Amino acid sequence: MADATILSLVLYLPLAGMLAIAAIPAGRDGAVRAFTLAVMVVQFLLSLVLYANFDPAVPGLQAATRLPWIPQWGVAYLIGLDGYNILLVILTTFLGPLVTAGAFSAITKQVKLFYAMVFLIQFAMLGTFVAQDLFLFYIFWEAMLIPMFLMIGIWGGERRIYATLKFFLYTAFGSILMLAAVIYLVWSLQQSTGVASFAFADLYKARLPLETQQWLLAAFALSFAIKVPMVPFHTWLPDAHVEAPTAGSVILAGVLLKMGTYGFMKLGFPLFPDATRMAAPLIAWLSVASIVYGACLALVQTDIKKIIAYSSISHLGYVMLGLASLDLLGIQGAIVQMVSHGLVAAGLFLMVGMIYERCHTRELAAYGGLAKVLPVYSVFFLILTLASVGLPTTSGFTGEFLVLMGAFNAAWKPAAVAIPLGAAVLAVTGVVLGALYMLWFAQRFLFGAERVPHGPVADLNLREKSILAILVAAVFWLGLFPDSAMKRTELAAREYQELVAGARAPAATKLTGAVPAEAAR
Amino acid sequence: MNFTAVSIAMAPEHLLLAGIVTLLILEIAADDSPAALPLSVLFVAAAACAAAWLGFTGWTGAPFPGQFVLAPPAAFAKAIVLALAVPVLLMSKDDFGRGAFYPLLLSSLYGVCLLASAESFLTLFLGIELMSIPVYVLVLMGFRRPESAEAALKYLVLSGTASAAFLMGASLMYGSTGSLSLASFGAALSSPDLLARTAVVMVMSAFFLKAAIVPFHGWAPDAYEAASVPSTAYMAVLVKAGVLVAAARVFGTAHVAEPLVGLLAILPLASMVWGNLAAMRQAGLRRMVAYSSIAHAGYLFFAFLGDGPGRFQAVVFYLAAYGVMNILAFAALPWHAQDQERDRLENLKGLFHTHPFAALLIGMAMLSLAGIPPFPGFVAKFLIFKNVMAAGYATWAVLGLVGSYLGIYFYLRVIQFMFMSPREAASGHAPSRGIAMGASLLCLAGSILVAVLPASFLARL
Repeated sequence: MADATILSLVLYLPLAGMLAIAAIPAGRDGAVRAFTLAVMVVQFLLSLVLYANFDPAVPGLQAATRLPWIPQWGVAYLIGLDGYNILLVILTTFLGPLVTAGAFSAITKQVKLFYAMVFLIQFAMLGTFVAQDLFLFYIFWEAMLIPMFLMIGIWGGERRIYATLKFFLYTAFGSILMLAAVIYLVWSLQQSTGVASFAFADLYKARLPLETQQWLLAAFALSFAIKVPMVPFHTWLPDAHVEAPTAGSVILAGVLLKMGTYGFMKLGFPLFPDATRMAAPLIAWLSVASIVYGACLALVQTDIKKIIAYSSISHLGYVMLGLASLDLLGIQGAIVQMVSHGLVAAGLFLMVGMIYERCHTRELAAYGGLAKVLPVYSVFFLILTLASVGLPTTSGFTGEFLVLMGAFNAAWKPAAVAIPLGAAVLAVTGVVLGALYMLWFAQRFLFGAERVPHGPVADLNLREKSILAILVAAVFWLGLFPDSAMKRTELAAREYQELVAGARAPAATKLTGAVPAEAAR
Repeated sequence: MNFTAVSIAMAPEHLLLAGIVTLLILEIAADDSPAALPLSVLFVAAAACAAAWLGFTGWTGAPFPGQFVLAPPAAFAKAIVLALAVPVLLMSKDDFGRGAFYPLLLSSLYGVCLLASAESFLTLFLGIELMSIPVYVLVLMGFRRPESAEAALKYLVLSGTASAAFLMGASLMYGSTGSLSLASFGAALSSPDLLARTAVVMVMSAFFLKAAIVPFHGWAPDAYEAASVPSTAYMAVLVKAGVLVAAARVFGTAHVAEPLVGLLAILPLASMVWGNLAAMRQAGLRRMVAYSSIAHAGYLFFAFLGDGPGRFQAVVFYLAAYGVMNILAFAALPWHAQDQERDRLENLKGLFHTHPFAALLIGMAMLSLAGIPPFPGFVAKFLIFKNVMAAGYATWAVLGLVGSYLGIYFYLRVIQFMFMSPREAASGHAPSRGIAMGASLLCLAGSILVAVLPASFLARL
């Protein structure tokens, strides 16, 4: 089978799965769960073929499908893999079966609709990653909101309606301004070249005046920054996370937030390079504000889900800092950090869900000394905590270390952009703060006097153990052998760097970044 | 005047006329015959096919030169409008089923078709009146409470005012240019002459009143609420379509000059903002749809800011996407013997538990009306704002998009009621009747077609 066919199969399997679920008679919840899991596993295996066949030495699109769609407007159906999205596609398909299996015991009402929504969101997320045409991208980008809106609103907690409306309206506001920018961008490209096209590759060639770029970047950045979320656009996230069902939180933290950083990397920055270079110090400061502020907020939370929600804000700040540094190490680190955060945050949210199912509270103060009662749970929790802190050999280390290297490179040897040295230094304190809040959290949660609400409770069952074991294996794989993944993203990172830095990027920047895989080890 | 040209070019209108006559005879011969519904569906569907056939064969010509012209875009516009009328007829079975509803509706449709081909102010006026007058009766036919009569009267008076303003504008136009052709209006748009400019403003305010643009919108919520569900659907979609198509005919491809741009942008913008804000507070579905249609009229008039050739295309495409989803929502509405109960938004609570399919359909319709991709409403909105942007009015486009953002909340609220209320909240919904469900499925098929193949629609309009 050609790669393009496999990619289409991977993309449309969830959609087919959703339609097939409707045909399963009501009341057969077990069948729905088994069917969803089977489809998700098949999807993941197919995507592994794509990963294996992905040629790191070939620049540009692979496994691409191109069909005319609205030729009058220059809109095409164009999907494909490249170094930007390959890891995120794998991350999405990897988390799919885990999310499905993780929700087996938690979701007992409206099971059919729930898994239909899981399928739908999987479809929309994959579509957003593989779309190579701005119109198609926007459609998938917005379509993603609908299943998430329902997921939080139907299976969420007490304040679910408030949280889900806030989530939808926040993100939709960003999107509507982005839509205006998309229309303007394509129109001005048409004015200057006479050709209307929404293909990313064509849009990169646009050379807009600086002032226009600033406006358009602001519109794109607002939309993406809300999604990431970056301080000060982050207030929807804690609400959404706290009220969402576990599966919703896992999808949100695991993949959905990466849409924002992916959007910056694939669209926001490369489309408007001059404005980006100008705004780079501001972006760096905002990223650092996210890192530090997110960490400080995580430190003072009493709800365990909120701790992890705020830690997400902090961790994604690193991604943004890496992207803004325009240093090859920093960019590669940002990509690895995206995947790493996807794995670690997904794991932590799953674990919070598992304890919540047993003890029915998320108050940190209600817990204590779980290590004695739930030894297996505690081991997994500690591993994920350490990965979140960035312990060497875990994926968290690779990502954060590379990002900080990149930031300092850009601060000391300013090339295309100059990251303020103060920002880079402050970002390092984020690592310390990260260790502080996560370890303190683990200490209060797992050790000390034994407190188990609604106890006694059973330790993890086989299903839960398998889910976590698979996740932890992935965390270590990315931590110990990042070069397999980074090899595949390297050309994209270079392309991103060249696009944003423009032709004026001095050779030195490229030389320092020539050996990213080695440096990571 | 050539006999064959007349019979071919006006085939859709002739079929409608044949339908009207047949239905009237039927009404006289057999009081309340149940055959009225299938017959009217047959005639409207045949007229739609005839219009589509005229469009596909590329029939172009003027059977009545200077009064009635036909070109493929107009033929396709007629086909779309007539096709939209079919589900409206189908869903009327439980409310009317027989009687005078059908000849009235077909007469009104005749007016809409006439508007798409009008070439002079005379034909246009004929079309507008033919379209509007039966609707006053349709509003009253839903006579469920005394307010219906009041609302119908309000509609009649205000609509009459619009007609008067239109006639006034047309006569001023005649006075200043000596011609009643629509081309003279295009010339008047950029004319510095005070008389011509007054005429333009009069005609525009007539259109604004008929399309319920703020501040001329007061009649719409009352009239929509008073009418029965099929009549509301007809008013919200087909009458609006008629008015907008007429406006598109009048504006033609003429460039809108500066002082008029303000009028053409500010009032529709106010409609979007006010329509969307007011819709948030409504407890009744039909009043909500009324305010939503006020907002949609705002988007539609925004299309006139765009440059000439794309204007008709944008308007008709938007009407198709908006109409099909609006009718879909109305048709999928659960049945309730009591009209007021059927109208209450609260009664949609928990619909997903009792009628999942109807809830899904209504949910899709709401998202499409909110302009959320991948539903057809998004592509239509995209086209309008693309044209506005291309005409150089970037600021207006951004303001319009932000105005459309305000509308998201109340559409989501409907979804929230249907999906996120507990099973216990579900009131005893009667299932929607089979034929109405058929109508909504028809709309679903149409909307999928619009969403997946927008290019083939755009190529023909």
